[in-house]
Amino acid sequence: MEFEPGSFRDRTGRVFYRGQNVCRALTAPALAEWEALRGKAFLARGMAEGRIVATGRAGPEVQLPDDPGSDWAAVLTHERVPFISYPYEWCFGMLRDAALLQLELLAAALAEGMTLKDATPYNVQWIGCRPVFIDLLSFRRWQPGEPWVGYRQFCELFLYPLLLEAYKGVPFQPWLRGRIDGIPPRDFLRLLSPRDLLRRGVLTHVYLHARSQGAWKAPARDVRGDLAAAGFHKELILANVRNLTKLVRGLALPRRESVWSGYGEEPGYRPEDREAKEGFVREAVAGQRWERVWDLGANTGEYSRIAAGNADCVVALEADRDAVERLYEAGRREGSRNVLPLVCDLADPSPNQGWRGLERKDLAERGRPDLILCLALIHHLVIGANLRLGDFLDWLAGLSPFLVIEFVARQDPRVRGLLANRDAELYADYDLPGFEAGLAARFEILRRREIADGRRILYFARSRQA
Amino acid sequence: MLYLDPSSGSMMLQIILGGLAGAAVAFKLFFRRVRAFFGKAEAAGPESAETPDGV
Repeated sequence: MEFEPGSFRDRTGRVFYRGQNVCRALTAPALAEWEALRGKAFLARGMAEGRIVATGRAGPEVQLPDDPGSDWAAVLTHERVPFISYPYEWCFGMLRDAALLQLELLAAALAEGMTLKDATPYNVQWIGCRPVFIDLLSFRRWQPGEPWVGYRQFCELFLYPLLLEAYKGVPFQPWLRGRIDGIPPRDFLRLLSPRDLLRRGVLTHVYLHARSQGAWKAPARDVRGDLAAAGFHKELILANVRNLTKLVRGLALPRRESVWSGYGEEPGYRPEDREAKEGFVREAVAGQRWERVWDLGANTGEYSRIAAGNADCVVALEADRDAVERLYEAGRREGSRNVLPLVCDLADPSPNQGWRGLERKDLAERGRPDLILCLALIHHLVIGANLRLGDFLDWLAGLSPFLVIEFVARQDPRVRGLLANRDAELYADYDLPGFEAGLAARFEILRRREIADGRRILYFARSRQA
Repeated sequence: MLYLDPSSGSMMLQIILGGLAGAAVAFKLFFRRVRAFFGKAEAAGPESAETPDGV
């Protein structure tokens, strides 16, 4: 048993796993902060509302990982989040709501004499479409005169990515995936035009912030001490938090055309085809209780919802950000607790990255599925993204014991559209006999059903590797 | 127990972001700097206590 390799930045604590439990070892100073935090009303309220992860002190029976020379004083246990996700996989609305949770908790903590010592979206996770704050070690007692230490981090990892998308129409996910610490103030300022300075929040949080980064270069000057002596008080932080809350709450996505102009509607589908497809998925899902379902190419999550009826957790992966946005908005309204929508291009999925390539993990390492739904997707990957059909089936067979897959035949209008400007003979392997042979070599086919006049074929299959 | 460098600039900026309440802090900070410039000892800390006030 070892510590979680991604948990190292804050030296006063470290995460490890014991069975189904997520544990956190604390040093003596961190334990003192936990003792201060434990009785606060906002903590009890946050845990009761599911906005702070349920946490308690572990008994002495929890054994620590072998760690010579360390002096851990206590262990906390946290409720496990069903599937860990990263901000570069979230849609705009998710990053915005995570930012609002961060601000809300900071204000609540300050009201009771505590503060948050960082402000990173990696401290927020999701239970379905509800954000939950997971890093209890971020709370510490507020020292009189202390400013908001996490303000710059909040800008770099929450505010600038949101402004980038809201003001410039540029998706933030590749930027957050590209740099683990987010967008520095000066880099972000360079992306803005003079006209943008008039937009809400830009003059202060971007322009002045970027300018301020070089302004106090005097080495080892105790700015925190200076501020404390000048009477900096928490009302200043609260004013800033209120201002940021208003700013973030008012941010919206610019209108844009999505790849899927008519959500959930596919050409050549009659209502009876749709019903047949739904019935097929329902029947496959009903076979057993699933721990984790991955819905690949989830679109707006119609089939994720069906799977959710018989699964602890459904991870709905979709490359189209607008579709994820809709799925998230709907899930948020319904209070969904077991469908997690994520932005993911399966031809370019989240890699292992960060320090030693272990700090942030690829998808499979965070929880393999026991059932995969792969509906109306394979043509996008094999023709649209040029993946080899055999490679894709290999990947599926190694990933999950069970699979529901829909093959879209060459005569389907969607496939014809994808082939229209490509050399069709290059994709000669993309046909029904080839697909069925490839599938049968890797999976035992349990059920098969043709819909849409045989242009679409559904399979429920069990991997031969399982 | 801070592992994050809050950045001096980001801390100072918070005086401006604090609105009206920040103005008093800014004034006090400025006043302290001016006093320091004219050789008045800053609020007694361990360092200033040990430094002989020869100016």
